[in-house]
Amino acid sequence: MKKKLAIGNPHSCAIKKVLLVMKLSFLLVLAGSLQVSANVSGQTAITIKADNTEIVKILSNIEKQGSYRFLYNSRLKSLQQRVSIDVSNEDIKDVLNKLFGTTDLTYKLLENNLVVVTSKELASQDIKVTGKVTNENGEGLSGVSITVQGAVGGTSTDNNGNFSLTVSEKGTLIISYIGYQTQTVAVNGQSVINIKMLQSSRALDEVVVVGYGTQRKIDVTGATGSVKGTELVKQPVMTATQAIQGKVAGVQIISSGQPGSSPQVRIRGTGSILAGADPLYVVDGIITDDISNINTADITSVDVLKDASSTAIYGARAANGVILITTRQGSGKMKVNYTGTLGIRQAANLVKMANSTEYLAYEKAALGPPINPTGYSTDWYNEILRTAFYQNHNISVSGGSDKNKYLLSLSYMTDEGIVIDNNFNRITARLNDEFIVSSIFKIGVYASYSNGVGQNVPLGIIFPDAYRAAPVIPGMVDGKYGNTSQFQNVGNPILDAKRTDDKSIDNRLQGTGYAELKPVPWLTLRTSFGDELDYSEDRQYTYMLPNDTTVFTTNGGSQGPTLSNLAITTGKFYHWTWDNTISYNQTFNKHHITALVGTTSEKYYSSSISASRPNVPPNPNLWYLQNGDQNLQYNSSSANEYTRNSYIGRIFYSYEEKYLLTVTYRADGSSVFPEQNRWGYFPSIGAGWVINKEGFMSRQNIFSYLKLRAGWGRVGNSNIPSDAAVPTLLQNQPYFFNGGVVSGSFVPQIKDQNIKWETSDETDIGLEFTTLKGRLSGEIDVYDKKTNDALILVRVPGTFGSQANPNSSITPGYVLTNAASIENKGLEISLRWNDNINDKISYHVGGNITFNNNNVIGLNGGSPYFDGNINGYFVTETTNGHPIGSYFVRKVIGVFQSKDEVNAYVDKNGNLLQPGAQAGDLKYQFNDNGKLDTAFAGSYQPVAYYGINLGASYKNFDISIDLYGNFGNKVYNGKRQARVVVTDNIEESMAVNRWTPQNHSQTEPEANGGNLPASTYFVASGNFFRINNVTIGYNLPPKILQKQKVITSLRVFVTSQNPLTIKSYSGFTSELPGTTPTNAGIELSTYPTTKTFAVGISLGL
Amino acid sequence: MLILVSCKKSFLDVPPQGQPSPSLDPQVALDEVTAAYSALISPDPTGASAFGGYDIHGVFFITVTNIISDDADKGSYDLDQPPAKDIDNFTLTSDNTYISGLWRGHYAGISRTNNAINALAAAALDSNTVKIRTAEMRFIRGYLYFNLVRMFGGVPLVLRVPTGPRDSDSLFYYRASVSDVYNKAIIPDLQYAVNNLPLRTQTDLGRATKGAAETLLAKAYLYLKNWQQAYNLTQDVINSGQYQLLADYSQLWRQAGDNSIESIFEVETGIYGGADNGIPEYCEMQGPRQDNGMGIPTTPWYNPAAWNPTNDGGWGFDTPTQDLVNSYDSGDVRKAATIIDLPPSGPPDTLYDGFVVPTMVGIQAYYNYKAWHSERRNNQIEVFYGDRSRKQKNIHLLRYAETLLINAEAANELGNSGAATADLNAVRSRANLGPTTAVSQDDLRNAIWKERRVELAMEHDRFWDLVRQGRAAQVMQASGKTNFAAGKNELLPIPSSEIALSGGKLTQNPGY
Repeated sequence: MKKKLAIGNPHSCAIKKVLLVMKLSFLLVLAGSLQVSANVSGQTAITIKADNTEIVKILSNIEKQGSYRFLYNSRLKSLQQRVSIDVSNEDIKDVLNKLFGTTDLTYKLLENNLVVVTSKELASQDIKVTGKVTNENGEGLSGVSITVQGAVGGTSTDNNGNFSLTVSEKGTLIISYIGYQTQTVAVNGQSVINIKMLQSSRALDEVVVVGYGTQRKIDVTGATGSVKGTELVKQPVMTATQAIQGKVAGVQIISSGQPGSSPQVRIRGTGSILAGADPLYVVDGIITDDISNINTADITSVDVLKDASSTAIYGARAANGVILITTRQGSGKMKVNYTGTLGIRQAANLVKMANSTEYLAYEKAALGPPINPTGYSTDWYNEILRTAFYQNHNISVSGGSDKNKYLLSLSYMTDEGIVIDNNFNRITARLNDEFIVSSIFKIGVYASYSNGVGQNVPLGIIFPDAYRAAPVIPGMVDGKYGNTSQFQNVGNPILDAKRTDDKSIDNRLQGTGYAELKPVPWLTLRTSFGDELDYSEDRQYTYMLPNDTTVFTTNGGSQGPTLSNLAITTGKFYHWTWDNTISYNQTFNKHHITALVGTTSEKYYSSSISASRPNVPPNPNLWYLQNGDQNLQYNSSSANEYTRNSYIGRIFYSYEEKYLLTVTYRADGSSVFPEQNRWGYFPSIGAGWVINKEGFMSRQNIFSYLKLRAGWGRVGNSNIPSDAAVPTLLQNQPYFFNGGVVSGSFVPQIKDQNIKWETSDETDIGLEFTTLKGRLSGEIDVYDKKTNDALILVRVPGTFGSQANPNSSITPGYVLTNAASIENKGLEISLRWNDNINDKISYHVGGNITFNNNNVIGLNGGSPYFDGNINGYFVTETTNGHPIGSYFVRKVIGVFQSKDEVNAYVDKNGNLLQPGAQAGDLKYQFNDNGKLDTAFAGSYQPVAYYGINLGASYKNFDISIDLYGNFGNKVYNGKRQARVVVTDNIEESMAVNRWTPQNHSQTEPEANGGNLPASTYFVASGNFFRINNVTIGYNLPPKILQKQKVITSLRVFVTSQNPLTIKSYSGFTSELPGTTPTNAGIELSTYPTTKTFAVGISLGL
Repeated sequence: MLILVSCKKSFLDVPPQGQPSPSLDPQVALDEVTAAYSALISPDPTGASAFGGYDIHGVFFITVTNIISDDADKGSYDLDQPPAKDIDNFTLTSDNTYISGLWRGHYAGISRTNNAINALAAAALDSNTVKIRTAEMRFIRGYLYFNLVRMFGGVPLVLRVPTGPRDSDSLFYYRASVSDVYNKAIIPDLQYAVNNLPLRTQTDLGRATKGAAETLLAKAYLYLKNWQQAYNLTQDVINSGQYQLLADYSQLWRQAGDNSIESIFEVETGIYGGADNGIPEYCEMQGPRQDNGMGIPTTPWYNPAAWNPTNDGGWGFDTPTQDLVNSYDSGDVRKAATIIDLPPSGPPDTLYDGFVVPTMVGIQAYYNYKAWHSERRNNQIEVFYGDRSRKQKNIHLLRYAETLLINAEAANELGNSGAATADLNAVRSRANLGPTTAVSQDDLRNAIWKERRVELAMEHDRFWDLVRQGRAAQVMQASGKTNFAAGKNELLPIPSSEIALSGGKLTQNPGY
């Protein structure tokens, strides 16, 4: 009972926690204020004596007397001057006059006995400065940040690049803009200052998001990558991750063309076998598992944390890297922007199947008795595929003042599938709004809503059926379906799509509210509460279809369910994250320190209810459960819940901006682990050396920037099911006593009740440089990542009786336990060249390549993990010394050319090795003991993957080309092996090139009935290279635009996504993510990659 | 700080949602008993597929009991289901997926009984209920071990729940001897069941009974050639007055014959979750196949006068052999009740429910009538809700005719030919056959064996019977199965995957 009470009471605990954090925050605020407003007691006389002492120390001694507090910039050099003083019972003003006499220091006495010490230099007169910031082409740049060195505040340029600012006549302006080199300009009394910005070669001054904060790229000691929103928005893709393919070294994106689907992302190889190898996504601070709800046009930047020294701040969830999404924030004058794209989409590559003539010839050879021709020759892919329509419209209103920064955006996207009847539509809305309540306090919100509506078709059935269905059957004749199933166990692929009306709706509200208090410039207290709320519904109606000539061209078969059925599933989840951080940022002379401490808590809860009834009428307005047969109703519900609690800390220290050190620490508690293993601790350290700042580098002009960095970190992976360690009962096991049903339950699975974190240790060494007068920049990293205690499914002997559990993701007969180590070693190289040929033509060439070597090294228990089951043959084995998910299959050494060759193929005792074989059958390799040789035949993981990004601009035209590819991996043509029935269709190349007594092929076997065992016959090279995106754009020149007042910018562009792929594999696509790392690379019912051609317009008002 | 610590604990203390943990709740113990019975329908709780790797009474069971024997062929077309073809032809190896599925399925069922026995021992239930339910569990466990010992010979004796995935107790890894499987599992379990189970009329239909335990134990003793025990136990069943032969043999395997007066123990099926809940694929696998996978029929073959039949009864596996067809004496009513006889050139064969078996170029001339379950929906004959893969076909594992035949065989071996002849003639009489002409002990033995074959044809008994009788090699080879190697093929191989998982501790059967 006690325990129950404890469990049932999380809310009150959460409240207590809130109170506790509030108390802590309050104390800290108070402490901060005390620094600047110590207790005051009116005019107090000062007595002090010092000999050749630094002014700053004398001030400190005066402070210690308790009456006065000094506020000064510690960087003021004059404070270090040594003076002597000897006064007793003197007024503070007199003391300070004496003290500052020979220096440039001056002071101001404020109420509360606060003394502000400044330099006389700065205390000069303030003037108003106006000006214009332009790019290299002389066009105004809007939103450029202009700040004054050593001062708070600043401004940004308006739409035309103009600014105005009040500043000390001796002040210095700092002008910075993402993508451009930051400039400093001394005011020197000028009232008009025009600045021409130069594009930053390596965007070193760029600020990157590093998790719970930002950092200058130049200060970062870990391996990170960043892609700007402008790179993403031009691509006609739904999800941002798809658009970063080929743009960041070390990030492998494997995308499917399926509408509404998310691509698979692997950062620095596959680091986990079973605890999930997907990275962590953080959207404006909200931790989430999927970003398909985020409108790409709303994104400012995608930052990727790659090595453990940078990801360790996310501790237990960071083992596979972290992708940080930052959405746009408004600034300057109100701007309205519209971007629209319209396009068409097609399958990029199809497999040519045998036509009727080839099919009949093949079947005659395979079967013996001939099949009668029908007069039809159906190309089933032609029947189910179409040219699909794509559109995406975004409109946003943004702006900002010193009180409020806002962005409101709306988007609508239609992504038709290339398969008939398959559609996806998405509406998103976003409001990012920040209120600067006072100079020390701001609050804000990032809120987005997305509504996705999918018209789904069973792709997992349609594609295999289209591959298998015989071409001699017609698709449709006079409104009736060709009866594919009377002939073999294949459904008519058209009917597969039409038989079921399946509509899914997903509503997701994602939002973060935050408050930030900066009581003093060096201290920031921030609390943010983010929540994701999701509601989804799926309504699936299956039509009743008699297997007779009212529906089909011929009678028979069992394609149509003979009862109609309505199934409704609703699901919802919430996932909140509450972060509280305190950050400190201070510079002492050459020392710069930033520090962060905080707590974060998280809770996820999902639940779903599904119900169905048959015999619901076919009229859509009657698709409600009560219209079905009550006696055959079915319903069920399920839920998932987990919580996390974490403590984080980070210290960054730099000396002269030359020597950098970052130390982070995170402690994570997760509910998915048993109590004794609940907490994990994740430290990291990173160091950097900015070599070009060394004195000895001042005489060279080869490198304008050169940084060496190294880091080590430990991160965890807690991405396991909530029930992984707890034995649970499986209900709904019926039996029938006295003719009535009784429902039983039992414990189907054996669980490891001592399961713990999977931890990864990673070391990374990187070199960053800019050379050749800023034209060439690059980054090279080597890393070594080892995952220990990797969670892996270990097969237990059948005698343990472990069984399937439909409520669990654990494979029947296996136990999830910590029993392996995985190593990923790699090298990443990124280079970028940009230059201007003249002032009209500029161009850039970027490229990156990643070599990664993945190996399972410490599989204990001697239990390799098999996966990729095709017809009872496992295609992959995950075991020591081989990459995860390596193909482990029979080795084909050729094709038997004659019965004599079969008879000559004997073991050392003279026994036939393949006794049943005929001429034309595949010849398998046997070992010396006469046993079939099963061998490793490569894996889906490439030796290397690479991206090339090209861009050029000429006057108002620009072009960009992105290329992507990989090499050194293998794919498995599972759909060929899945041919189970002799009358299944075959690929044209198999039909034409097959072994015949006339055609002595050594690679293609004679016509056969399928059901072949897994072998190297099905393994093919996975190398591919493709043009990811080509975009050509034209910006209307300002001269033309200036003639009217409404439109401030106009860009038109044409773009093509994935127009060309070069690959050696004969299947649909070499990009085969699979469902887990252990079954990736197997093509079974893969959605063909698509190519898109689109035109777009971007309009600024 | 103390508050924080205690809070942290409860905030992170989240039990899995929607899945209860095993507890001492008495209802959970009773639910675990039900779930152990449920394993007889399918040890794979998803029930999704016959080929999912866990089987007790599904496709794999049909293959190693019927198809393997001289009573049935694999059926379908040649290339369909190579593992079944290998078993049929005795070319199977230790990596045959059907074999590992049976191994895993049976141990899955045993695991459910062990868990239920544990739960019953701990639950706050009245001692009588605990005793009876425990006896039911031990009956099922004894039955599963009896299947295992007949399939594999000596097997690991798992009579308790493992402590966890790393339980290293040798009992999970090493094979017990055949005699240990009988003497430490089958006999004690079934004897406990005999001692504690109620009579058929005193319990729910479908539960294990004293009569079921006695018949099964008698059958086990038959395998051990302990004739006296086999005789005594069956005599007790006969004397109990609980059972009789059903007058109409053809009704036995139809739904009308479920839980009949002849039924001693059967796998119960029914409707659950709005759908048919039978043994996955049992009927569909054995249903008459409409095509041979070769051609498109050119004329409709269905009978337009009947209701709209689906024209396709299933996949056409487990087809009776000509040898079995020939083994029926003329006038034996059991032949027509067992075999769908479909001469390739003959007229359509109309089944009892009006279904017309397609007469086009069939794969096979014969199909298993006992596996037919009517799909006729208007004017329903058998309950069918549309899921052909889970048809509600009860499997009649033990019935009174077999009790009589066990009694007859034991009596004959004990020299009591009078009792043996009486039992035999009772069975023959129901089949519309005259009294046996056999007189000598040897002739009578052969007559009883032959009677077992036709009486229990396609009922999953023939192959093990032949092995028990010591004439498997002779009969198999005579029937054309020349690959059968004496001293090897009487048993199935131990699955190679299980040998690997045991770290080589499991030993292979001779010859594999």
